[in-house]
Amino acid sequence: MANIDQLSARQIAAGIAAGDFSATEVARATLDAIDVREDGVQAFLQVSADLALEAAAKTDARRAAGEELGPLAGVPVAFKDNMHLIGTRTTCASRMLENYESTFTATCVQRMICAGATPVGKTNMDEFAFGSSTESSAFHRTNNPWDTSRVPGGSSGGSAAAVAAGEVTLSLGSDTGGSIRQPASFCGVVGLKPTYGAVSRYGVVAFGSSLDQVGPFGRSVEDVALAMNALVAGGRDTLDSTSQELPVDFVAQLEDSAEGMRVGIIPALMEHEGLSAEVRAGLGRARAALEDQGVQIVEVDLPNMASAIAAYYVIGPSEAFSNLARFDGVRFGYQEPGCATLAEQTALSRAHGFGAEAKRRQMLGAYLLAAGVYDKYYYPAQQVRTLITQDYRNAYQSCDAIMLPCAPTTAWRFGEVSDPTQMYASDLFTISNNIAGNGGVSVPVGREEGTGMPLAVQLQGPAFADHTLLRVARAVERGIAGTDAFVPGTVAPAFVGKGGELA
Amino acid sequence: MKKLQEVLRDWEAVIGLEVHTELTTLETKMFCDCKLSHDDEPNTNVCPVCLGMPGALPVPNKKAIESIVMAGLATNCEIQPRSYFYRKHYFYPDMSKNYQTTQGPVAFCMHGHLDLEVSGQGAKERPDSTVEKDAQGSYVAPIRILRIHMEEDAAKMVHVGGGEGRIGGASESLIDYNRCGTPLIELVTEPDLRTPEEARLFMEKLRQTFLTLGISDCSLEAGSMRCDGNVSIRRRGTTEFGTKTEMKNINSFKSLHDALEYEICRQAEVLEEGGIVYQETRHWEPSKRRTVVMRVKETADDYRMYPDPDLAPFDLSDEFVQSCRERVPELPDAKRDRYVQTHGLKRTDASQIAGDPAVARFFEEAITYAPKAVQTIANVVVNLVPATTAVTAAQVASLSSLLAEDAITFAQAREVLELVDGTNDDPQKVVDERGMRQSTDTNALAATVEEVLARCTDQVRQYKEGNKKVVGFLVGQCMKASRGTGNPKLFNQLLRQRLEE
Repeated sequence: MANIDQLSARQIAAGIAAGDFSATEVARATLDAIDVREDGVQAFLQVSADLALEAAAKTDARRAAGEELGPLAGVPVAFKDNMHLIGTRTTCASRMLENYESTFTATCVQRMICAGATPVGKTNMDEFAFGSSTESSAFHRTNNPWDTSRVPGGSSGGSAAAVAAGEVTLSLGSDTGGSIRQPASFCGVVGLKPTYGAVSRYGVVAFGSSLDQVGPFGRSVEDVALAMNALVAGGRDTLDSTSQELPVDFVAQLEDSAEGMRVGIIPALMEHEGLSAEVRAGLGRARAALEDQGVQIVEVDLPNMASAIAAYYVIGPSEAFSNLARFDGVRFGYQEPGCATLAEQTALSRAHGFGAEAKRRQMLGAYLLAAGVYDKYYYPAQQVRTLITQDYRNAYQSCDAIMLPCAPTTAWRFGEVSDPTQMYASDLFTISNNIAGNGGVSVPVGREEGTGMPLAVQLQGPAFADHTLLRVARAVERGIAGTDAFVPGTVAPAFVGKGGELA
Repeated sequence: MKKLQEVLRDWEAVIGLEVHTELTTLETKMFCDCKLSHDDEPNTNVCPVCLGMPGALPVPNKKAIESIVMAGLATNCEIQPRSYFYRKHYFYPDMSKNYQTTQGPVAFCMHGHLDLEVSGQGAKERPDSTVEKDAQGSYVAPIRILRIHMEEDAAKMVHVGGGEGRIGGASESLIDYNRCGTPLIELVTEPDLRTPEEARLFMEKLRQTFLTLGISDCSLEAGSMRCDGNVSIRRRGTTEFGTKTEMKNINSFKSLHDALEYEICRQAEVLEEGGIVYQETRHWEPSKRRTVVMRVKETADDYRMYPDPDLAPFDLSDEFVQSCRERVPELPDAKRDRYVQTHGLKRTDASQIAGDPAVARFFEEAITYAPKAVQTIANVVVNLVPATTAVTAAQVASLSSLLAEDAITFAQAREVLELVDGTNDDPQKVVDERGMRQSTDTNALAATVEEVLARCTDQVRQYKEGNKKVVGFLVGQCMKASRGTGNPKLFNQLLRQRLEE
């Protein structure tokens, strides 16, 4: 019989509905794959075998009772460890929350489970999502399944790696400045950051509240579209006042012809000095694939994009300082023992509970919001935000989506990037999209010559047109699949078929 | 220390108030669905949102926004169509997120005013030369309101082991998060108040207004309405502000007045002796009738305020504001004027009844039962009802009718009210059963009058010589002779008639 890593989400749900295999069998195969592969990948902080088997048993019972199954029935899914799920710890990969048990379940997690998905565990990440390589996790690193001496990207590195290694079919990540799209590109999977407000943030530990957005990883555009259907089902979440209704079917138009659609490119960006030749070649490949399908390539400009990183590193840390103020060792989380005063306890709990990057961002934020400084930085950053949002709006007058690199290079080796500002600069192509609040998706387009590392392009779209964005992403995927560059759904070769046999 | 009136001849006091009011009549907290209650077991009305658990998000309580808009409309504020919630950061365990969600430079309600009518003894605090007073010495003081903004209350901390629940010397501190996230509106006045009496009246008027709106139980004692007073003084004729001090722990109207009075006199004494007033927060000690330093503010706290990204900017539609406007009931001033104009009530009675919505409702019910005895009902409501526990409007109407017909005296009315309090008995019936009804039979009374006049020849002579006051003694004699059953007013009338003959 098949290996679990060869099946798409749709095939798993259909197979369970048809009785080809049970949800419990899928769960067991998944746990087996994780068991065998996890040593090499280290994508998980916690594997919730009991929860997975329990959920799978429920799915099987529903089927036995003749009840209708959800569209993701039995599909194994992993969650970034900043998302609450009752029965699991939510650590944010931080000592601060090392033993923190979830007290409620995040809306995004709940909706995946409502659609029938089997929750298999919590994935590694940069501490509190601060980082682009998952190296700032307080617990361990996560390896890129395509080359375990390389980083999986971040901050949702565990979620991307788990999917790329075939440990799970789907996973959720969160993207504040590229934290879904960049690891997706590093790991050769599809990763969507939906429009801000499309997916509820309730129950996701906040980093930058005005930038954070939850989205899915999958090995194909269709799997990501199925996950999106689950995430927006049920409409606007009344527990998140920034969430909005998005009543669209992400799957329905996926196979529609892309002919006549217009995709924008920014010529100056394509010539960006930091861009590797291979990444540039990947962009060319995607462009050719789109043109072959009758997509019109138009030139657009985002004149203020150069200011995006500066604005982001004002807004992000400011919000992070504020959001992380609650970790004071009083009610939950790490509490320094033996302190004589409250001030000492708060100071030492924070000093010892947070890692270096978390402290750096909070101190930056505390400075940026201080009286006298605020006007100099925060306010202009908001003005830049308005300008960038307008730039995008103007650009989308003449195109349906914009194609960009996802990251300047493919995945780097551990320790290769140690200067934080160099790490920050790698977010250049993803950050502006969070600033504007629009959707963006990373699509694999092949492998780098020599290293064999995945190459990807990023597509960005107007606000709340994420379903159209996925249609363009599917066109890229379809076009690439026609060449010998990349096969959608591919699991990293070192892990494919290891454990996970459906008994 | 000099007396207030003396100080205020040379010095002008500049007073501003910050008034926090909990919206106690709402069912749920500001940003979550937890029940609002002061009475429940500690930490039972809590959830991830008000406990500031990671991942929780705030959702604004629409009814709280309605309440603050109504408060703004009732205090003549401009309602801002667009405003934001801000985060105000400080590390303290009473604020679970370590920031308070409040409003920034633009509040829901901006630039309002309330006009105070200052009369009687209180009006004397303000020297005549500084304000236009009418013949009775009363004046009107227009007080501008800077803003009313929406925020959430902090948790309640209880310090154990120290004195009077204070943190000093306490061995441990307990936190009750039931109060955390309670919707709170903060009203800030411009520094327009000039005397402790004006400050007291402003607070009282505000309380009456909010009670009438039904947005809070406005209990100063229980802390659902709290007031901080800022006060500085300056030489009469100068315009620059002096250094201000802030008064905390004010839990009654009297405390507000007395704390400000003390502080004005203290500052005057410091300055007159060549000293310096420090900008500091002071604590009012009612038992010792003085303020003491709580903490010295050397630098302004940096709260790192910025717009809360979890809460979208508010766009209040015209329809929303209009619907709030329609829900603003008749306010105390308008009600008072109506009572004066349509019922002919005395202005002081009218404003006392109009000031408390429960009393006003009671009064308006009572006058439907006895429309002819309106002023008497007002009199009874103002003077007798406050001492009772459970009299009904119908009982008050019935009693007032007896009074209006001169069937009983005011002293008897008090007695009857005590008898029917808490029962369903009709005062008319009680009066009849107990034979309390006073005789209005002129013939019977005339006989008594004749008897008294015949006996008290000295007083009759005094009257005829011009001492008209002596009639009071004669009425007393008549009452005695009739063993209290005669109507004193009628006796008075009959006596005067006879004496003028």
